[in-house]
Amino acid sequence: MEKIKVLYIDDEQNNLNGFKATFRFDYTIFIAATTTKAKEYLRDHNDIKIILCDQRMPDQTGVQFFEEIRFEYPEPIRMLITGYTDIESVIEAINRGHIFRYIKKPWTDTDIQSAIEEGNKFHLTNSLLATKNKELQSAYDELGKFAYSVTHDMRGPLLSVLGAISIAEGSNDIAEIKDIMGMMSLAVKKLDEFITNIHEYYNLKRGQLVFEAISFNDVLNDTAALFRISGSVDNIRFTSTVNQQDTFLSDQTSIKIVLTNLLSNAFKYQQRGKTDKFVDVNIDVNNGIATIFVKDNGIGIDAQHIDNIFDMFYRATSAETGSGFGLFNVKDALNKLNGTIEVSSAINEGTIFKVTIPGIPNGAK
Amino acid sequence: MAPNRQQHFIVIDDSKLDCFIAEKIIKNTGKCESVISFLQAKEALEFISTNTLSSLYPIIVLVDIQMPVMNGFEFVEAFEKLPINITKNYNIYVISSSINDNDLIKVPKYSSVKQFLNKPLTSNNLSALLTKD
Repeated sequence: MEKIKVLYIDDEQNNLNGFKATFRFDYTIFIAATTTKAKEYLRDHNDIKIILCDQRMPDQTGVQFFEEIRFEYPEPIRMLITGYTDIESVIEAINRGHIFRYIKKPWTDTDIQSAIEEGNKFHLTNSLLATKNKELQSAYDELGKFAYSVTHDMRGPLLSVLGAISIAEGSNDIAEIKDIMGMMSLAVKKLDEFITNIHEYYNLKRGQLVFEAISFNDVLNDTAALFRISGSVDNIRFTSTVNQQDTFLSDQTSIKIVLTNLLSNAFKYQQRGKTDKFVDVNIDVNNGIATIFVKDNGIGIDAQHIDNIFDMFYRATSAETGSGFGLFNVKDALNKLNGTIEVSSAINEGTIFKVTIPGIPNGAK
Repeated sequence: MAPNRQQHFIVIDDSKLDCFIAEKIIKNTGKCESVISFLQAKEALEFISTNTLSSLYPIIVLVDIQMPVMNGFEFVEAFEKLPINITKNYNIYVISSSINDNDLIKVPKYSSVKQFLNKPLTSNNLSALLTKD
């Protein structure tokens, strides 16, 4: 474990030397004879965790120093070293939240050690709390986006169907009613797709990764079968190559989500009326890393949208129906697997996604 | 206000079904000279900035809020930057399934937007909008 970084400030050089000599094996020690020097250390080493400062200093008192730095450097734990004579100012400083605790002069090694350990624990707890808070904030932000999109992505198709029903009710033309039914069925499918995507999303969020040997041939066949059944592959030349000799351990559900969404997009966003439409998948497993290329000659992605395509609910095109959820889920799944994704695309030429996924080393399950 | 005036309509919505519904309801009013639908706001904007539809009455535009690429608000912002001799010929109505306050609050901020309409569009609320001005 990395040593705790401690900054000690005292105007007496002997004290500084003694402190460093005693604790240099247990902690990384920075010593400063002036508060000016101390501020330099704080500026250059943002990972200093504990600051110990003598109260009686020529240019300013320890309490004044702590008051001054606490806003710029709120993270390090502040401790004051002082004799009984200054007890009033110490009490005040503690009450005003400037210092974590004080160490009475003359101190023993154990005093200092226990103070540093306790301070460090407090620091750790605080940082954990800050991390948790950040996670909560991001979960909360997602929930906000989610609630917003629900009104459109779930309510939208429902209201469309409702509107269509009222028109169908007023029509006596069977052919027109059948047309309306066809459109209603599309709206319902869109809603269903959205719900499936939410399901995927929560599977990813809540689900534990299950590492097992992955056969990319099987995964790809399963995935491609889905598109064959739905007829998405019609009139599109679908080619695939899989080159896998080694066992590859990873989470099958996540890999399927990645492949399904990339393929679904490749089949969906084709150029209408083009004669030689194709989707090509190439999977190569080498040195424990799986590299997947999904390539199409579809409509492509506009350069101004390409940085946002992995954002939740972001849609870069109004061609075809989509939920704005697919690539977000792909990115999320890859984050869980420590994988990466790159995209290159040109309008009306096509898109290439390159995915790399590191396998779990054998035995490290 | 002439009781039997015929007006031009433009519908902007990324959902084909919603365009269809709007077209149907508009035609059923009997006050429709023509109706054109756009699945992309950008195309509608292009059409409006180069359009030569001549009409005695303002052309009614129904625009959805949530659309990819250019959403309804972005459309309205771009529309308001067009020359006045174009914009004066149009009445814009925002139509949405949104029940989100942040969307609804925004609507009155756009001076060109006449009114907010809830989806689905019905003959009743369309007729109500046609009888007042």
